[in-house]
Amino acid sequence: MADKNETPRLRLTAVSKRFGAVRAIQHGDFTVRAGKVHALVGENGAGKSTMIKIISGAEQADTGDVEWDGAPVRISSTTDAIALGIATVYQEPQLFAELTVAENIFLGKELKKGGRVDWNAQNERVVELLEVLGLPAKYATATVGDLSIAEQQQVSIAKALSGDAKVLILDEPSAILTDAEIEVLFDVVRRLTASGVAVIYISHRLDELFRIADEVTVMRDGRTIGTYPIGDLSVRQIAHLMVGEELSDTRPHREVPEGPAVLELRGLTRAGKFRDVDVSVKKGEIVALYGLVGSGVSEIAACVYGIDRATGGELKLNGATETLKSPQDAQKKGVALLPANRKVEGMFGFQSIAFNISAGHLKLLSRFGMFVDRARETKVATSLIKRLAVKTPSERQPVNAMSGGNAQKVVLARQLVERPKVLILAEPTQGVDVGAKEEIHRLITELAEEGTAVLVVTSDLPEALRIADRIQVVRGGTTTEEFGPDAKQVDLLAAAAGGSE
Amino acid sequence: MSVTTAEKPAVRTTKVLPSPVTGQEIVLVGVIAILWVALWVSTPAFMTAGSIQPLLVATAPVALVGVGMTIVIITGGIDVSVGAAIMVCSVLTAKLLVDAEVNLGVAVIVSVAAGGLLGLVNGVLIAYGRVHAIIITFGTANLFLFLGLQIFGSGTVNGIPGTLAFFGRGQDGRTFGVPHAFLITLLITAAAWWYLRHTAGGRHFFAIGGDAQAARLAGVRVQRRVLLAYVLTGLLVGLASCFVIAQGTSTLDQSVGSGKELAVIAAVVIGGTSIMGGRGSVLGTLLGALLVQSVASGVTQLGWSSQLSDLFVGIFIIVAVGADLLRARARRSR
Amino acid sequence: MTATAERVRQRPDVARILLTQRIPLLAVLIVLVVVTFFINDAGGYLTAPYDFDYMSAALINAVPLAMLGLAELLVILSGRGGIDLSVGAIVSLSGMVFGFAYGEWAWPLWLAILATAGFGALCGAVNGFLVSYIGFPALIATLATFYAYKSIAIVINNQQPISTPPIQDLFSLSKSVELPLFGQYIPDVPLGIFTFLLPTVVAVWLLLARTAYGRRLYAIGTNDVAARWSGLPVRDTRFKAYVYAGLISGLVAVVTVAQFASARPDAGVSGSGMALPAITIAVLGGVAITGGIGRVAGVVLATLLIVWLNAGILLAFVGNEGGQYQLLALGTVLVFAALLNGLTNRRYGGTS
Repeated sequence: MADKNETPRLRLTAVSKRFGAVRAIQHGDFTVRAGKVHALVGENGAGKSTMIKIISGAEQADTGDVEWDGAPVRISSTTDAIALGIATVYQEPQLFAELTVAENIFLGKELKKGGRVDWNAQNERVVELLEVLGLPAKYATATVGDLSIAEQQQVSIAKALSGDAKVLILDEPSAILTDAEIEVLFDVVRRLTASGVAVIYISHRLDELFRIADEVTVMRDGRTIGTYPIGDLSVRQIAHLMVGEELSDTRPHREVPEGPAVLELRGLTRAGKFRDVDVSVKKGEIVALYGLVGSGVSEIAACVYGIDRATGGELKLNGATETLKSPQDAQKKGVALLPANRKVEGMFGFQSIAFNISAGHLKLLSRFGMFVDRARETKVATSLIKRLAVKTPSERQPVNAMSGGNAQKVVLARQLVERPKVLILAEPTQGVDVGAKEEIHRLITELAEEGTAVLVVTSDLPEALRIADRIQVVRGGTTTEEFGPDAKQVDLLAAAAGGSE
Repeated sequence: MSVTTAEKPAVRTTKVLPSPVTGQEIVLVGVIAILWVALWVSTPAFMTAGSIQPLLVATAPVALVGVGMTIVIITGGIDVSVGAAIMVCSVLTAKLLVDAEVNLGVAVIVSVAAGGLLGLVNGVLIAYGRVHAIIITFGTANLFLFLGLQIFGSGTVNGIPGTLAFFGRGQDGRTFGVPHAFLITLLITAAAWWYLRHTAGGRHFFAIGGDAQAARLAGVRVQRRVLLAYVLTGLLVGLASCFVIAQGTSTLDQSVGSGKELAVIAAVVIGGTSIMGGRGSVLGTLLGALLVQSVASGVTQLGWSSQLSDLFVGIFIIVAVGADLLRARARRSR
Repeated sequence: MTATAERVRQRPDVARILLTQRIPLLAVLIVLVVVTFFINDAGGYLTAPYDFDYMSAALINAVPLAMLGLAELLVILSGRGGIDLSVGAIVSLSGMVFGFAYGEWAWPLWLAILATAGFGALCGAVNGFLVSYIGFPALIATLATFYAYKSIAIVINNQQPISTPPIQDLFSLSKSVELPLFGQYIPDVPLGIFTFLLPTVVAVWLLLARTAYGRRLYAIGTNDVAARWSGLPVRDTRFKAYVYAGLISGLVAVVTVAQFASARPDAGVSGSGMALPAITIAVLGGVAITGGIGRVAGVVLATLLIVWLNAGILLAFVGNEGGQYQLLALGTVLVFAALLNGLTNRRYGGTS
C-alpha cells in the first residue's frame, strides 16, 4: 500500500455541490496518489459524475478545499484542470474520424516547423506515447475512422496523456469493451501508473476493480462513504457499501396468475452483442432484465422490438416462434417498446403532445386509413394525459418545453394507445424526477394487473426490485441468475457486477 | 507526459501521413485516360493541340473556383453564389478594361479584391449569423446578380480590349503550348493541396467539417476559419473571372457565370469531396473539372448534341458519390 | 442577463408573435407592400396603375412559383437535408413529354396531363429512391438528376421546342376569367389559379394537415430515429415526398407550356432556373431547412408577398431595371428571413 505520509497528488476535502434544490454531493472526501489506481464506485445518482466534473473543472464545488501536491488550488474551468495536469477520457471517444491519430492528438496545438506542421516530430511524439501505452506504433498514422471503438479509446487515452497528464480520469472505460480489449486497457493503465500517473477509475463492474485498482472510494446518496485498500474488501462488501442498509420491502406481494409465457426468449443471440438469453414473461407479469451499462441489456431490448435482427436462438410470442423484421412488424404482433434514450429515440421535440402520442398509431386513428380523425386523436390523447397525470394545459403543447418526467410520460402514453400484449420498457425512469418516477412505477403495475406482459430493461437496481415480480440479471451479454422480488440489493448488484463467488 | 523513453522507438513509421492520393483520384485519372484514348481512337483530331488546349482553358475557371468550393465544402458548408459572383467580378473588370483602360495588373487586383469582398459578405453572414450556408448563399446569389446587372447597365459590355490575353485562348495565353490559365490553376491547386495537407490552419478545416463543436473545444478558431473559407473562394472567383473574360470574345453578356455554381459543385463532388464535410481533396476537384470538360469536348467532337454532356455529368455524380456511399457502408459494417 | 430577460418580457406580445410566427409576419409584410405601392400609385410615382386588376393579373406568376414552393416544402419537411434542385429540370423534361403527347401524338388533353404528371412523379421517384433507399445526400442526388433531366429535355427533340397548333391553343388556359356569381364585383382572375394552383394548394394542405401521411412526414422530418422506433415507415415516407414533388413539377410543366404556348426544352432551367426561386419561397414561408417545420399557408403567403412585391417593383422602375430590383428584393428578403430564423431560434427557441 502507498505510504500514507506521502503528499497526495490531489486531495478534495469536504466538497459539496448543489444543483437548484438537488444536493448532488453533500460531503465528498477524495484523495489521489501518484502511481496508484483509485476506483470510484457508487450507484446511479450517488454523485460520482458530479465528483468527476468537479475534478475535471466542468463544475465548481460550492464548498470544500482542493489541494494539488499539498498546495491549495482552485479548479474553476476545464482549462485550469488541464493546466494542472488533469486529463479526462470519456466513455465515447470524441475524435475526428477523418484525421489521423497523430493529428487528433495534436489538433489545436500542432508542432510546427517553418509554417508547416512538423509531421515527423508529431509522429515521433505519438509513437513514444503509444510505446508507453504498449500500443502498436502504426496507429500514429492510421485514420481514426478506420480504428475499432476500443482502439479509438486507446487513442483518447493517448490524447489525454499528450498534455503531460499527472492525473488521468477514466470514466467507465470498460463499458464498451470486450474482455480481450479490457485486457489491453488494463495493460495500458498499469504502464501508466508505473510511470507515476495517478488514475481515477470509474466502473460499474466491481469484479474488474480487483484486478486494476489499488484503492476504492464508495459513494452513496451524495456522500463518500469511505476509502479502502482494495484488498480489504470483497465484491459483496463493496456492493453492500454501495446500497447501504436494506430497507424492508413495503411493497405488497403481487399474485401473478399462472399461465403460459406470452413472451419467451430461448437462447436468443445477436453476434457480438449478446448470446444465449433466456427470459420468459407471463400474462400480467413484470420481469426485469437488470444489467450494468455495457452488459448488453439494451441491445436485447432493441432486438426483441425488431430494430436489430437476432442471429441465433428463438423468440416466441404466445408460444409461436416469430421473426420480428422491423418495429412495425413488432407492433403488429402486439409488442410495444419505450425507448431508453428519450430525446433521440422517443420524442418528436417541437411537435405537440397529441402528435407524439398518435405517431405510430395513425392507421388506427384515421378514417379510411387515410385522414387523421382529429376528434378521436384528441380524445385518445386527453384520456392518456389524464391516466398518466401528464401536467400540461393542453394536448397541443409542444413536448420539448416539458420536464423530463412529463415528456417521458408522453412517450410512454404512445405505447399504450393500442393496448400491447407485450410492453418492453427500456430505462423507464432515467432522467425523471422522483414524483414522476413514482407515478410511472404505479402505472407499470396497473398495466400488468390489466394483463400486459411487461419486460423492464433497466440498470437502476432499486427500480428493478421495486416493480418486478422476477429479476433476470444480465452480465457479459447473457442472462445469468434469476431472483425473486424478495432478493436483496446487495445480491443483485454482486451478481450483475460479477462477484457471485 | 512525464515519461521519457531512453531509446528511440524501435518501430519507426516511414509513412507520416495517409496516402497523398486518394482512391477516387486514381480512379478519376484512369477514367480520364480511358476517355482520352477512346476519343483519340474515334476522332484522331482530339489528340491535337487545337483540341486539348481549349479543353484545358475551359477547365481552368471551374477548377479554380472549385479549389475554394472544396475548402468550403470540407468545412461542412456550401456556396451557391459563386455563379453570380463570377458575373459581378467579370462585368466589373470588363467595364474597367473598356472605360478606364486599366492594365493587366490592375484588372486582376480589382477583380480579385471584388471577389474577396463578396466572399467576405457570405463568410460574415455564415460564420457569425449562424445560418445555414445554402440559404444565405441562395440569398446573396440574388443580391450579387442584382449588383452585376446594375454594373452591366443594359445588355452587354462590348469592345473589351485584349489586355487579359495572357489568360486567353490565343497564342499570347500559352507558354510551350500550355495555356496560362490552366498553368495558374495547376499552381494554385498545388499550393492549396499543400496548404490543406501540411499546415495547421489547413488541417483545421477538416476538423471543423468533422465536428465543429469538438474542434472549437480543441482550440480551433472555427468562425475565423469558416470566414476564411468563403473569402478564399471569393478571391479565386475574382481570378477565375479574369480567365472568363479573357477566354470569351470582346463581348461579355449577362449570362456570364450562370449555372457555374452547380458546375463547380459537380466537379468538387465528382472529385471525391464529401458534401457532409470533413473530407475532400482539391486534386480530386481539378480532376473532376477536367473529366467534366473532357466529356463536354468529346461529346461535341463525336458530333453529338453538346447538351448530352450534362447527362454524363449527372451519371458521374451518381457513380462517384454512390461508390463513396458503398465504401462508407462497408466501413461501418466492419 | 436579468436586464435582457426583463426587456424581452416587457416587449409587447405583437413583436414576439411577429418574430416567432412566420404567418402573421408575412401577412403584415404583404399589407405593407400593397399599401406602399397604393400610396406610390396615388402619388403618381408608378409607370402604370397598381390596382386590384393589376394585382390579380400578376397572380399568373404565382402559379408555378407557389406550386414548386409546395414541392420544396414536401421534400424539405422530410428532413435529413431534404431539398430538390431538380424541380426545374423536371418541369423542362415533363413539358417536353406533354408537348409530344398533346402536341404531336394528339392525345386527349386529360390523358396528356395525367401522363405528364405521372412522368414528373417518375422523375421524383428516381430522386426519392436515391435519397431514401440508397442514402444519397439530397443535394447531391438532385444535383445529378438536375443535370440528367435537363440534358435529356434538350436532347430529346434536338433542342427544338414543340409548338404545334394544339399547344398554341392552350394559351387560353392562361387567360384571366370572370368568376361566376360574384365575379363581376372583383377583378378577373387568371384561369391557372383555379385549374392548377388552388387544387394543388388544397391537395397539399389536406395531405400535410389532415392525412396520416402528412403526420408521418412531419414525424420523420422532426426526428427520424424516433420515427423508426415508433414503427413508422421512414424510408417509404421520405421516398413519397420526392415523388409528390415530382408530380407537382409535372403539373407545373403543363402550366408552363400553356403560358408560353410552347413546350420549351429549357423552360425550367433557363436563367437561374425554377428550383432556386422555389426553395427561396419555401424558406421565406418559414420552412426550416432542417426538416419537420413548415406549413402550406406560409408558402402561399410568401408567394403572394414576392409576386405582389415584384409586380410593384416592375411599375416603379423603367425598363429592365425593375427585373434587377426584383432580384435585390428577393435576395434581401431571403437573407433577412434566414437571419430572423437564426435569431428567433436562439432567443425564443424556435419558430412555429
